[in-house]
Amino acid sequence: MHAHGVAALVTLLIAVLFGIVASIQLLYPDLGASQPFLTWGRLRYSHTQGIMLGWLGNAFFAFLYHAVPLLTGRAVTSPRLGRWLFGLWNVSVMAPGWVLLLAGYSQPLEWAEFPLAIDVVVVVGLALAVAQFIPPFFSRGLESLYVSSWYIIGGLVFTLLAYPMGNFVPEVVPGAAGAAFSGLWIHDAVGLFVTPLALAVIYFVIPAASRRPIYSHFLSMLGFWLLFFLYPLNGTHHYVFSVIPMAAQLGAITASALLGVDVIIVVANLLLSLRGSGVFPRDPGLRFVAMATLFYLVVSIQGSLQAQMSINQAVHFSDWVVGHSHLAMLGFATFAAAGGLVHAWQRIPWARYNALAIDRAYWLLLVGVVIMAIDLTIAGLVQARLWQAGAPWMEAVQASRPYWIVRSLSAVPLTGGFVALLLGLTTGPRGGGLAAVKESAGLETVDEIAPQLSPSVAEAR
Amino acid sequence: MTAGPGRVLRMSYIVACVAGVGFFVMSVALLGVWPKRVLDEQTRAMAPEYPLALTASEIRGRAIYGREGCAYCHTQQVRYLRTDMTRFGAPTLAWETHQDYPHLWGTRRIGPDLAREGGARSRDWQFVHLFSPRVVVATSVMPAYPWLFDGAADRPGQEAEDLVAYLDSLGRAREIAGPEGEAVAREGCQCPDDALRQLAFEGPLSAHPAKSRRVHDAPVLPTPAAPDRGRRLYADHCASCHGPLGEGNGPGAATLRPRPTNLVEHEYTDERLADVLWNGVWGTAMPAWRDWPLEDLAAVRDVVQGFGVSSQETADSAVPSDPAAETLGGLGARVYVANCVQCHGETGAGDGSASAELLMDPTDFRRQRPSQAEGLRALQSGVEGTPMAPWTSRLSNAEMLAVAGYVRGFYEGPDR
Repeated sequence: MHAHGVAALVTLLIAVLFGIVASIQLLYPDLGASQPFLTWGRLRYSHTQGIMLGWLGNAFFAFLYHAVPLLTGRAVTSPRLGRWLFGLWNVSVMAPGWVLLLAGYSQPLEWAEFPLAIDVVVVVGLALAVAQFIPPFFSRGLESLYVSSWYIIGGLVFTLLAYPMGNFVPEVVPGAAGAAFSGLWIHDAVGLFVTPLALAVIYFVIPAASRRPIYSHFLSMLGFWLLFFLYPLNGTHHYVFSVIPMAAQLGAITASALLGVDVIIVVANLLLSLRGSGVFPRDPGLRFVAMATLFYLVVSIQGSLQAQMSINQAVHFSDWVVGHSHLAMLGFATFAAAGGLVHAWQRIPWARYNALAIDRAYWLLLVGVVIMAIDLTIAGLVQARLWQAGAPWMEAVQASRPYWIVRSLSAVPLTGGFVALLLGLTTGPRGGGLAAVKESAGLETVDEIAPQLSPSVAEAR
Repeated sequence: MTAGPGRVLRMSYIVACVAGVGFFVMSVALLGVWPKRVLDEQTRAMAPEYPLALTASEIRGRAIYGREGCAYCHTQQVRYLRTDMTRFGAPTLAWETHQDYPHLWGTRRIGPDLAREGGARSRDWQFVHLFSPRVVVATSVMPAYPWLFDGAADRPGQEAEDLVAYLDSLGRAREIAGPEGEAVAREGCQCPDDALRQLAFEGPLSAHPAKSRRVHDAPVLPTPAAPDRGRRLYADHCASCHGPLGEGNGPGAATLRPRPTNLVEHEYTDERLADVLWNGVWGTAMPAWRDWPLEDLAAVRDVVQGFGVSSQETADSAVPSDPAAETLGGLGARVYVANCVQCHGETGAGDGSASAELLMDPTDFRRQRPSQAEGLRALQSGVEGTPMAPWTSRLSNAEMLAVAGYVRGFYEGPDR
């Protein structure tokens, strides 16, 4: 677990570096021009694959090693399987995947850039993850599952199902129809992999750190099922006004609006559970997930709006969407994953923990992501206005430059934040996190946490 | 919890789990499989009988396009929206994409859409642009791809050849299918009442309308509002090839054949400049700029006409009011009829009997007047990259001088 956590942070820094260089290349396009492996396109491929599979994948796996035993009262399937999963994910997916992308072996499909050979390994890795983390949940029967458990099961199983759709199908289904499948995966990568696991973290950390039960288990489950009903139906909203049948486009747009309703239910439930903790709770893990919850609300409402035809026709293809995806992956998902890592780290007796660095990491990341999201949103509106006004094409590029400068500068607090996060979890005294928890509120045990996680378990006792 | 509700709960969760998987399957069926069936059907009904496929070189170029992430800044999907269509042409039909494994639609436009890029720009322009983008597009943020070349923009490697071949194929199948292809598609579409689908048949199919060499109606350009804007537009978009002062010596000019026109040495009628800006000049690197607002085109036109003024008077004063002028004119007329009329036409309109055989239009002297010096230069050295060859072996210096002056008389524009 610890290994996954460190791997998460290392791959995070590498992936962020790709993103930063790519963003600076929009300001200085000749940067790295003589080196094929340093061109914008290849760095861009490496950036998103690194963030999704390297950082978030590893971070979620690390968190699952903490959460699954607590949620189920059982160990994960096998430590040996765990070593295989870790090795496969980092040595056979991330490392060769990046090398191949930079060397020019890739597929030009969003959120699916790793070449086919790597995709096969990813699917094996996801299958191993299912085998590692899912069986413990079935040992005690479904009725005693906490909502986090549902999200974990749903997230892992559906990612295993959805991944081949974006990565394999467009290679055999051409053109517009391939784009329809591609659209499904673009959304499912966020909706069925990142979002459920991030929500699992949030639903886990809030009661565990605040020592108050979730506001409503009914709303939790309502939110969960609505999410799994609506999220997969969103995909086609990436290709509005295209040749894809209008009924599919309208269906996806409707589902996108309804998804906003679902997110309001989920976030209301989470915020009500956070009552009394404040917007910036003292517990660092809780503070990260509280902000992740707010980002989730903002990014989802934004998503529902920009799927609507009147807004989509203007801002689609612009930096507005880039801002939106950073708000999702960097605001919502990264804050949730970081919160989960910090929370778990605090509870490993031998893990190093540097409270000051974690605190700094939080604020630096918050400043960075807010600057970037606002900046790119405005940039998108400026581009959209120039496009609609029929201005010469390059005017929109020239007008973007100041916003691209700010976007590149937002990398300063962000990189600082990520380095601080890495330091926070690798320096400081061993067991420092546990001491911090004890100091603030007393040591938690499984017995203390479990009743808060699931009322039925409590009653069973 | 009692046994009863427990069992009910358990049952409901099993139902929910099955339903959950069902939802996912439903999403694939509704948004993946069903659209695929509809699109396959559309492709069958609307595609020409023998749509043009990609060559081996173009297929390799397509792989390079994918490898370098071109699709992440350039979409290949014109949406069913007026704003897209006025800029990029007719919206993308399903059958146009049916050979794309995988699709390259893209979701971000930093550069322009390329769905109808085929023929929009000359090959030598594409090579310079790939080798060093800012040489021809001053404010571009596109990466350079020098490793596709053997050290220079005019020495493309196999990969550069393949990539440009692919770019030239974009939109080609539908363009070549022509009006007949459009008629087949319209019939197969069976969408008379669907206003959105009807859009598919509006908008140009080629980004370079001058290619067909028919007369294309260019709009009458309005009076521009701001001369400052014209100068800025010229500096950002034109100076890279035509040079900051219009002398045809911008950094992009080096490998373009024919070379970008020396604007200082030419006078143009308003109509000619409107035509050039609106339609581009087929056979040269001059693309069509018709996605610009008319006010902006007019502003640039005024800048270009401003270049011609200064040199004009000196050139003019050399010819008339000389007692020998009449003789010189007579000689020029004789030489012109004997040597030039086949291409440039009796009235200098560029419509001589041989002009239809040429790859590009001969200069129309009624609408474009070269200076005496420029005309002489063209006669002595030819115009590289065009059918205009050097005449030094056929004409004497006096004859060349005479005919260079003679063609200036065709000009119908106002003397500035």
